[in-house]
Order: sequence, then C-alpha cells, then structure tokens
Amino acid sequence: MTSSSNAAESTPAFRRFSFSLRDAGTLIGLIVIMVVFAALVPEFLSERNLVNILQQSSINACLALGMTLVIISGGIDLSVGPTAAISAVITATLLLAGTPIPLAILAGLGVGIVCGFINGALVAYVGLQPFIVTLGTLSTYRAIALIYTGGNPVLGIPSGFRSLFNGNLFGIPTPVIIVAVVAIAAWILLKKTPIGEYLMAVGGNEEAAYVAGVPIARTKITAYVISGGLAALASLILIGRLGAAEPILGNLWELDAIAAAAIGGASLMGGKGSILGTILGAIILGAMRNGLTLMNVQAFYQLLATGLIILAAMIIDRATRGRG
Amino acid sequence: MIPRLRFETISKSFPGVNALTDVSFDVAPGEIHGLLGENGAGKSTLLRILSGVFRPTSGMVLIDGQGVAFKKPMDARGAGIAMIHQELQQVPHLSVAQNMFLGHSLTRMGGLFVSRRQQEARAAEALSMIDRSIDPAAPISSLKVAQRQIVEIGRALLDNARVVAMDEPTSSLTPTEFDRLAEVIASLSARGVSIIYVSHKMDEVFRICQRASVMRDGKLVGKVDLKTASEKDVIAMMVGRQLMQEEHNSFVTDTVKLEAKNLSSATKIRDVSFTLLKGEVLGIAGLVGSGRTELLRLLAGADRLSAGSIAIDGKAVRFATPREAIAAGIGLVPEERKREGIIPLRPVSTNMALASLSSFSAGGMISTGKLRATAQDLLKRVNLRPFQLDRPIRLFSGGNQQKAIIARWLAAKSQILLFDEPTRGIDVGAKSEIYHLIEDLAREGHSIIVVSSELPEIIRLSDRVLVVREGRVAACIPRDRLTESAIVAHAIPGANAGAADTRAAQTA
Repeated sequence: MTSSSNAAESTPAFRRFSFSLRDAGTLIGLIVIMVVFAALVPEFLSERNLVNILQQSSINACLALGMTLVIISGGIDLSVGPTAAISAVITATLLLAGTPIPLAILAGLGVGIVCGFINGALVAYVGLQPFIVTLGTLSTYRAIALIYTGGNPVLGIPSGFRSLFNGNLFGIPTPVIIVAVVAIAAWILLKKTPIGEYLMAVGGNEEAAYVAGVPIARTKITAYVISGGLAALASLILIGRLGAAEPILGNLWELDAIAAAAIGGASLMGGKGSILGTILGAIILGAMRNGLTLMNVQAFYQLLATGLIILAAMIIDRATRGRG
Repeated sequence: MIPRLRFETISKSFPGVNALTDVSFDVAPGEIHGLLGENGAGKSTLLRILSGVFRPTSGMVLIDGQGVAFKKPMDARGAGIAMIHQELQQVPHLSVAQNMFLGHSLTRMGGLFVSRRQQEARAAEALSMIDRSIDPAAPISSLKVAQRQIVEIGRALLDNARVVAMDEPTSSLTPTEFDRLAEVIASLSARGVSIIYVSHKMDEVFRICQRASVMRDGKLVGKVDLKTASEKDVIAMMVGRQLMQEEHNSFVTDTVKLEAKNLSSATKIRDVSFTLLKGEVLGIAGLVGSGRTELLRLLAGADRLSAGSIAIDGKAVRFATPREAIAAGIGLVPEERKREGIIPLRPVSTNMALASLSSFSAGGMISTGKLRATAQDLLKRVNLRPFQLDRPIRLFSGGNQQKAIIARWLAAKSQILLFDEPTRGIDVGAKSEIYHLIEDLAREGHSIIVVSSELPEIIRLSDRVLVVREGRVAACIPRDRLTESAIVAHAIPGANAGAADTRAAQTA
C-alpha cells in the first residue's frame, strides 16, 4: 500500500462521523440566533419554549424536506401549499363522514402523492419547466380545494385524529416526532440509496446522468411524489392542531420551505442540498419568529427579519463557497 | 528591438503551491509565439496574469518596454491585451456586434441608448479585415464555432489589441476551419499584433508559430525555434522524458461481438452496417458532422434507431434509453466530458459507480463498503491521480476525469466500450495512459469502438477503421492498408473514392 491510498482510506471514517462544513455553518447560524434571543428574552431558552420552537417549525420542516429533494433534483415545487389544502379538506371531509382514521390519513397522503405525481409527470414526461408546471398547479390545486369546499372551512375534526397529530409522546409533541422520523428517512434516502445518488446526479448534470443510465423520469417523479406526500403530511399536522381544514390553508408555504432549504445549503441550480441543513434552516426560521413574538415585535418586522436572514445566509454562503 | 511583450521573472504562488517560478520570455511585435506544456504546467496561470485575473507574486509584465500592473481584467483589455478563451465567452442571443461591444457599448444621447447602427458599422469594419462573410447583425447563436472565434478576434481588433492570447482555439474546429483560422492569425501578425498561441496539437503549433516557450511544473523549461526543432524533442521537453514510439498491438479474435445491419436514424445515420469482433478496436473516422458521434449515440441507446437492427452475441437488441444499452453491456465514454460525462459536485467514486449502483445495493441500500472496495480497485487500475476517492470529480484534471469515466464502465462490466474523442483536451502524458488502457481492455476481450478526429490517434489504436461520410460508411480500411491519406481520401465528400483506394493501396 502506498501512502496515497492510506490517505484515501482514512477520509471516509472522518466523513461518516462528521458533517459537512456547510452544515456546520448553518448550525453556527442557529446558535448565534439562539444566543441573541436568549440574551434579549429570558424565557426564550426555557424547556417549554424550546419544545415550542420545534413544534412551530415542524410543518415548515416537513415541507422543506420534500422541497430539498426536489431542489436537489434540479426542480422546484411551488404547489406544496395548495397540495396541502386539497389533502386537508379531503381528509377532513372523510373524517366527518365517519371514515376510520387510518383510512382517512392514507387517503389524505394519497391525494398529496397524486398531486406530486402530476407535477412530476408534467416535468419528466412532457418536459415542461418545473417552475412553470408548479406555478400552474399552484393555482389549479388551490382552485380544486376551493371548489370542493365551496370556499368554506370543514369544521369539527374528531378528537381521535387530533390527539394523533397534536398530542405528546414521552413529553415530546407528536409533530416533532413525525418530522424527525421523516428527516431520518430522507437522510437515508439521500445518502444511502441509489435513488439519492440519482437525485444528485440528475440535478448535478442531467445529460451526463442520462448517458450513465440513470432513470431520469423516474428519479424526478420520485422527488415530486415525496414532496406532494410530505405536503399532505404537513396539512394533517396542521388540521390536527386547528381542528378544522380551510381550503385556503398553506398560503405561501412554498416560500418558507424554499427558504429553509436554501438556508440549509440547497442550491437552486440543483445537484446540491443537505437534509440536516434543511432541518436547521427550518429551526432557524422558527426560532426567529418565536423570539420576535416573545419580544412583542410587530409582524411587519418579523417579515423583515425573515427576509434579511435569508439574504444574510445566502451572502455568507456565497462568500465562503469554493472551500470545502 | 523592444519586445512587444516581456515576462520578467514572473512567479506566482497560491497557498501551498508555487504555480509559477521565475518565468521569463519575450514576444516580438507581430510574432506568433507558441506556449506549450501539459495541463497544470502553468500556462493558464501565466495567461491569467497577462489578462489581469491574477497578480504575480513577484516579477513583472512589460508591454512595449513599459511595466504594467493590472488590477482587473478591464485594465489588461485597456492596455491592448485580448484573451480568446477555449470556451468562448459570448452571449448567444445577442448579435455579433453587440457581443463585440459587450461591456463598453457605443451610446448616444448621453449614454441613454445603445447606438446599434454605429456598433454594427464599427463591427463590420473590424470584421472586414478578417472575414467578410460574417453579418454583424446576426445573432451569435446562428454562427458556427469557427466563425464565433473569428468574431472574438474581430473584437480584439476593435480594441486595438497589441497582444492576443489564444487558449486552445482549435479544439472544436475542422481542418478547413483551422486553415481559415490560421490565415486570420497570419493577417493579425502582419498587422504587427503579437499572438500567444496555446495548444496541445503539435502539428498546429509547428504550422502556425515561429517560436515556442515550453513550460513544465510552473517553470520555463525551454525556448524552441520551431523551424529547426522536431515534434519529438518538444514533446520530450514538455513531459520531461522521451515518450516511446508507440506500437500498435492487436488482440482481435474471430468471435463476432456486435453486428449492426442497415442502421438509420432520424438524426444523420443512413444505412450503416458493420461487425465488431471480440477484442477488436474499431476506429471510426470522418469529418466533424459526418455522423460519427450520432452513430455512437445510436449504439449507446442515447438516440433511437429509425431502421436497421443491432445484435449482440447473436441476439437482437433494441434500446430505448442508455439504461437499456448499459444492461446489454455497452458503455459510452462521451466526447464532451463536462456536459455528458461527469456529475461535477459528486465524488469521483460515486461518479464511477453511477452506472452500476444497483450492483452495489442490497434491499435498496447502497453498500458503502462494497462501493469503496470496487472504487479502490478500479480507480487504481486506471491510475487515477491524485488517488482521493472522496474528492469531487470537478477538481480532477481532464485526463483523470476521463479515467474515472472509463472505470465507470469497468464497474458496470460493459463488454463493448464506445469512446468518442477519448483524448480531447487531455495532455500528452495522460493521452498515452489512455491509449494503453484501451489496449489493455482489448487484451481482456472487450470490444472497442474509437471515434477520433486525430488521425495519428486512430491509426495508433485501431485494428480496422470505418470511414464515415455524410452519415454513410464510405470505406472500411483494414490495418495493413491504414494510412492517414487513405482515411482522408474517403472522408472528404466528393472525393474520387476509386482513385483514393488505389492511392491508399500504393502508399501502404
């Protein structure tokens, strides 16, 4: 064995147990925000508030995980909010009609998967640009949700369902547990399976991936199907919390999800993104809103802070790129 | 006489690397000066210093005896230095004139509007000195690469450039287009413009340039007078050793591996038939645009057949996608590595494994250990340097990226390997490694097709050469009658093939 091959062998062990520099950067960003708020608001670091932050971040994190996979594949999914809305109103209607809870959940997730499949098929088979496809379905899906309900909220979701999505397990809110499980699954998918490698290949260089035999259409559709399914899951969490399903729910969800993915290191050019980064990105956004609310800062300023944090993250990203 | 351009003991170091050490040479007014060296020898760094992208750590650039210190590329441009990059930096949708004035548009009404008419008139004036056939109002995207290069030269004239540096300008030109470019370069030189010409192609450098500077490992290793030096000497200087005169080795068996009958495609191919034997290296020659690449893409499943049939080991196959061709044992090493070969951000090991991920997976999960073991094995075999399996492939040199793509097909256990311009943009040392690799693969019983524009390369490698012309097979030349003139005679449309045959037979 030559010395060069020894060096090569020592790298993976290091890789396996650490995370990328980019993730470390996102983590530092989160820590900075936590420290600032902890200094300004004494109750910010209380156990109850920290759990609150996680719970408040869970819906966005759920969407952002799907968004990350789509962005890595070189696409974008603007239709997650309306997808969630359709799924929510259909699940709620089924529950009110007395459908067993597991069946209603499966139906809700199924609706999200179908919405995602339509996006994916239009991108992969018809060859339309992802931005335009999902801009079109953004309106279409929203209209379907509104037409289906006549614009009225579906009220009175049964408590059995609500306790499932708005309860606690070992003192941890179930949405947090659900999203944690989804995040681990997404991490495994991206890092350990051929599908994950295909997603990065298709987003990184579609033509080369095609020549290398990567199933392009299947890979892209998988990303949109996961995104649709996770949008549906996010909507179940929301209607569990609210006890009602509004056809207008999920307005502008796509922007928060994209922001979390981008803060976490996903490149809108495709081929690059991090599950851990996205989760941290979602928590950064959640922690900031939570902190500003505790400080009684006006909503206008919260919006301002969100915008600035996204820009700051991207500027730091740009300034440090090319290394690591 | 004061030299037009003088590099005086230029050194440049980056953290941990000395990219250039004490490089000094002169270029006279109107001289066409070759700059030679393998990839990584420091040519690009030197050009970047000349064009104001980098500042030298020590040393100085003098233009007409005046020391210059450029802070940014615009300064260099202002001082009369024009760079023509290998990958042209033009905006496809803008017109020829707009591209030529990019960054300093001619305006009227106090800078409020671009004066399109004036720009086009000035552009036409500059272009008329070199090529009257280019319309300044035409969009750049409507021009061929060769013409676009001439537009860049026109832009240099417009800027009153005193020095034009050209980095690998001919990598995608046909021989005729090269002749045209050579004329344009000569006319620039006649106007007193000095030219620095960087190329890997020895014959071109010998034809165009009067003198050359040879670099290796960031140092100037020699200045050669190209009228007296031989190609072999120059190559030896570049690589620092004598390259062995390469002999062709043949490992052809008589088992038919692949049989193509009457292949036609919507793209270009018309009624092409041939057989490929086990252990054979079949060369495909022809002009750029004759259908060589399209033929490979058909075989690799990247394009669809409109008629004809392919049989592998006697069994008929039909591919709708490359994935199906790969499953049948065919692998394509594409011409444009950046566009069709590599996934730039991914490690070299996963790039290698991309076509055969399922063989490294169990239950839907990739076995990292198995993948690494194979990567260790195969990437060592193709002599990847540096041997760092987790390094993103974009950080490797062209030659090493190519080795990784070859390893990709070894990992996929492909029996038929299709090489499209296997050594394009690859330096001399890595080139001979690729040749040996192709030979080894044939020895092991792989069947190989090599498409190449470089005739010496195709003759060095092939057991038999198929000459393609306008989408059809113009000739099939066996090894014992294989000469450059035989190939050229069949490749050029309208050539009298009968006479060429006789000529070829005589030369052989």
